[in-house]
Amino acid sequence: MTRLLAIACLSVVSFVVGSCEPNPGSSSSRTPTVLVFKHGKLSGDPQAFQALLKEFETQHPGLVVREEILPASTDQQHQYYVMNLEGRTPTFDLLAADVIWVPEFARAGWIQSLDQLLPATDRKEFFPATLQAATFEGRPYAIPWHLDVGVLYYRRDLLERYGFAPPGTWADLVRIARMILEGERNPGLKGFVWQGKQYEGLLCVALEFIWGNGAELLVRDTEGKAEAALAFMRDLIRQGTSPALVATADEEAARHLFQAGRAVFMRNWSYAWSLLQREDSPVRDKVGLAPLPSFPKHPSASVLGGWMLAVPRGAARPTEAQELIRFLTSSSMQRRMALQLGYNPVRRRLYEDPELEKAQPWLTALYPVVRTARPRLVTPYYLMVSQVLQPEVSAVVVGRRSAKAALASARRQIYQILGLQEDHSRPSFP
Amino acid sequence: MNPAGGESAPVPGRRDGSRPRRFVSDEAWSYLCVGPGLFILVLLGLLPILGAIWLSAQRRLPIFGISEFVGLRNYAALMGDARFWEACRTTLYFTAVSVTAEVILGIGLALLLHGTDESRTGERPWIRVMILIPWALPTVVSARMWEWLYHSEAGLFNYGLRAVGLIQEPINWLGDPFWAIHAAILMDVWKTTPFASLLFLAGLKAVPPDLYLAARVDGAGAWTSFRHITLPLLGPIILVVLVFRTMDAFRVFDAVYVLTGGGPGNTTETLSIYAYKTLFQTLQFGYGSALATGMFLAVLALTAGHMVLLRPYLREVS
Repeated sequence: MTRLLAIACLSVVSFVVGSCEPNPGSSSSRTPTVLVFKHGKLSGDPQAFQALLKEFETQHPGLVVREEILPASTDQQHQYYVMNLEGRTPTFDLLAADVIWVPEFARAGWIQSLDQLLPATDRKEFFPATLQAATFEGRPYAIPWHLDVGVLYYRRDLLERYGFAPPGTWADLVRIARMILEGERNPGLKGFVWQGKQYEGLLCVALEFIWGNGAELLVRDTEGKAEAALAFMRDLIRQGTSPALVATADEEAARHLFQAGRAVFMRNWSYAWSLLQREDSPVRDKVGLAPLPSFPKHPSASVLGGWMLAVPRGAARPTEAQELIRFLTSSSMQRRMALQLGYNPVRRRLYEDPELEKAQPWLTALYPVVRTARPRLVTPYYLMVSQVLQPEVSAVVVGRRSAKAALASARRQIYQILGLQEDHSRPSFP
Repeated sequence: MNPAGGESAPVPGRRDGSRPRRFVSDEAWSYLCVGPGLFILVLLGLLPILGAIWLSAQRRLPIFGISEFVGLRNYAALMGDARFWEACRTTLYFTAVSVTAEVILGIGLALLLHGTDESRTGERPWIRVMILIPWALPTVVSARMWEWLYHSEAGLFNYGLRAVGLIQEPINWLGDPFWAIHAAILMDVWKTTPFASLLFLAGLKAVPPDLYLAARVDGAGAWTSFRHITLPLLGPIILVVLVFRTMDAFRVFDAVYVLTGGGPGNTTETLSIYAYKTLFQTLQFGYGSALATGMFLAVLALTAGHMVLLRPYLREVS
């Protein structure tokens, strides 16, 4: 029924789209092959990216790349792909997938494996965490395109004025924030802002706290470290280091506050850097970037985010699509995306590239974080797991549930989804 | 009024009482007239509902290629699903509070509008148009607007409350488990009260003015006339508004989804939002359809309840 409906809708849409499509390259005698590339709205200058695609077209005469841009909301993009890929008649040849979708899409048989694009010699070029997220049952189904990691932004000017270095532990962060807030006596200034709204972003923050305490989400530890990490998130709000509004904040809400100069610290993805450093930004050149703090005796932990390129099964031009993937993930194009669009490259070498380092010095600060960043649970069940976790963690953040009760309830439900036994001590994925 | 065309009844509007000559019998003709509408209803209403009920009897996970018949097992799981019951409670609370507020405020607003119409300056239709603006705005647009009004730092509400000294610390309207659901209710009331008041206004216009005059002669005050004339005569309209608004409020989705996404801690997750997340975000088509069917049955039961309440009035009308 649903599939029939989806097919029906799709055929109407493709008919309409097909019939309004202008005749591409009408001046040339032979009709060029059109390669349709679906992706979400890119931040940064769209013309810079179009110039990149133009170059691909010049290198491959007879090929025309048509971008079809989806709304920026990740959920809406996911819904679009589900409806269009389940119908098995994709009207596009290439898609950009969020890192958390790859195992799901691969398991559903919606995307093709891309072994030939990742020869063993090339694998070493990529960060292991990104490859892990792109792999399903031992085979790559997507190629990392650009990546994001969770980092700590701090007001360099304020920390310098009070003689502090960026905090290494969460306790340091709380102490520094308190001293600066007391010293500044500015009621509009907040201590530490992060993403606490009930949505996917909250899970990333929670995982960073849990991992930063040497604990795992699904593995019960006798010392209750995961519980302690979650309870700490609540304490941040209760003790006033974080304003209550973080309970409704997503990435952009947190960034707007920080960018307006109204917070000392912010947890956000690396994408925020180029926006904070824009000409019109009030905090331009007053911001520093550091790995996230952690709990004593445990290393800092970051969640890996970002986007990958994949080819839908049943795509009309799979070979050409793979050619475009090879082009977009090549060293030279990755460098250009970093320089012109501010996107973090997926190839290790570029983080030590002198030219890039000069132009984007913050990449050097980002390198250790990217190297140790971890993907979220790599499982085709991820979206179900996430739906279970979001309300539980949110309930802890707003003080509606104890960390212990929330974690126990979440684990019980997740074990059920994954078909694991309650007493299973170590699931088969990280 | 008389679709089957009673043999004896003359067709009103034709001076000689004759009817146009047709090539089919009256009965066939009436079916022919109803046909297209019925076809569309079946295609767009009945078939999808039956499709969802059919899906709800299956375990259907497209990602894992699972599609099997499980009978009523999804419903059994639903009965034991704490999140479902919490969503039920949230939805019922949302519906009860918002519909009650809309009916009371709607009557008040209608009385005001009626009063301005009756006053010496004559009718002012532009007031009615203006009042309908919240109802006419797309919900997503107004929800985004309200999201800013509720913003705990930059929002108008906290600014106003702080300016008059009612609060010291900003209230986190959408991030506080107590306030979030009420914030959503307030927005819904703002948005749909105009619709209710317009229906009530129509009801007020139908009340014969002589009744009020007679009451005044008998020495009745404003409250007594309202209590003993206006309210009883508005009865059928109140029930119509109740039915419309209850059905609408029960399946509320966009307003709450845009404002809070169901958070914090699922305190604003209504049945529609839970069904959406199950169906479209985690792709559990079978279980999600069971949820949707459960919701459909609940709305059906509520409407049936209203119909029982309405029956005496309906009989009166016919």
